Amino acid sequence: MKNRDKLKQLLMDIFLLSETEFRFDLKREEIPTWDSMGTVAMAVGINETFNYHFTPAEAMSVNGVEDIIRILESKGIPFHD
Amino acid sequence: MSHHDPDLLFEREVLTDIRRLDEAWIHPATFMFLADHSGVSPEWVMERMACLPAECREQHFILLTSGSTGKPKLVVGTRQRAESLARTLHELQASEPVDETVCLLPLTYCYAFVNQWLWSRQFNRRLVVTEGLAQPGRLKEALATSRNAMICLVGAQVPLLTRYFQEDVFPGVIRVHFAGGRYPQERLDEVRRLFPNAEIFNNYGCAEAMPRLTLRRAEDAPLASHIGWPLPGVEMRADETDRLLFRSAYGAVAMIDDVGFTAIGPETWVPTGDLGRRLENGQWELLGRANEVFKRYGEKISLPQILTLVRANWHGLADCYRESDPQGEAGYVLVLSPAPSADQVRDILRKLSQTLPRTHWPLRVEGVANLPMLANGKIDRQQLAGRPDSTILWRQRI
Repeated sequence: MKNRDKLKQLLMDIFLLSETEFRFDLKREEIPTWDSMGTVAMAVGINETFNYHFTPAEAMSVNGVEDIIRILESKGIPFHD
Repeated sequence: MSHHDPDLLFEREVLTDIRRLDEAWIHPATFMFLADHSGVSPEWVMERMACLPAECREQHFILLTSGSTGKPKLVVGTRQRAESLARTLHELQASEPVDETVCLLPLTYCYAFVNQWLWSRQFNRRLVVTEGLAQPGRLKEALATSRNAMICLVGAQVPLLTRYFQEDVFPGVIRVHFAGGRYPQERLDEVRRLFPNAEIFNNYGCAEAMPRLTLRRAEDAPLASHIGWPLPGVEMRADETDRLLFRSAYGAVAMIDDVGFTAIGPETWVPTGDLGRRLENGQWELLGRANEVFKRYGEKISLPQILTLVRANWHGLADCYRESDPQGEAGYVLVLSPAPSADQVRDILRKLSQTLPRTHWPLRVEGVANLPMLANGKIDRQQLAGRPDSTILWRQRI
């Protein structure tokens, strides 16, 4: 599975989103289930799926799906596959 | 006065010849009425019954309960109290127009024993014993040919009745009683479709109450947790930790368990095992089982409230079992049957998310083809965890 698809499945699962609701340009404020504990769940899920542990600062700086991709790409995890 | 040795009467003897139960009732000797597959041996029962003091060896009867704790115990009642309760229920449940009662539950279950067998004996009404949903064809025939009938159900039977009798209507049933578990508030439309001429009652009690404490009609309250008003002769109160206690003119006079014989005196407040509070209109509201309300990250979680939310959005069966998360915090696992689709799981969790923080969501959602059931129709919570056929459909990541 491509990393984009892995991330999509992970975020749909964590934030209870349907296939049609998910977009890669989704912002945090558009997702009602993305509260502070949602951020923790997202960070744990990223670690499980991509083996990268967000620092607290990185986790708190994430304001949307694109931010997650940007951070992971900066750590050498490709998303243009 | 000479004292009899207590008799042991098995369900199979009664199913072969119902008069065995009448004979036991009018014989002076105290008797124990035991299910064939009760999970305890006759030797275990006889050892416990040997603890009976002389004053309990006549005119009493004994039933077995494992309650929600899973630990078997014997509850000892007097026939006079049980007959008094049957008379009270006859009046409050408006049973005078009822000509017969169809049994879907084992008669060893205190609810069916008092509300159906003893009632039919006292008021000379017809008793139709069936094997319930174990023989749906025969049950259907009994319900279809019934006239002015009363039935007693537990809530978990409703989805099964709906599944077996999708196209059937039973106009001959005019009273439907629920007890012995959560009242199926969300499924009353299904109950009314099956039994369009029935008045529906929510009965609440416990084995130690032998068995009824409160009663209400379906239309008297909007929530399953509203259990109605105490019966005449029943006092209820909640202590400082919300534990629901009772004193009853109909209740058990003693219990016998592995510890031994414990008398229940007239002044004794007996715990129901539930948490509750009195509402302004005098009805009582259940807040959960004493072991079903706990704190997670410092906030109270009520499994009954969670299950109410789940059941409002899920038409299969649902229940929970307790489990701690990797940090050692108390949590719970939600089990659904039949296994729902991913979309259904998401819809259920989204409903929870509207009123509950993520920490209160289940640690996992598991799907199983069938939930384990007890003979009395309740979900067997002791067998919920670690089922080999369960599938993890969703899990927490905190």
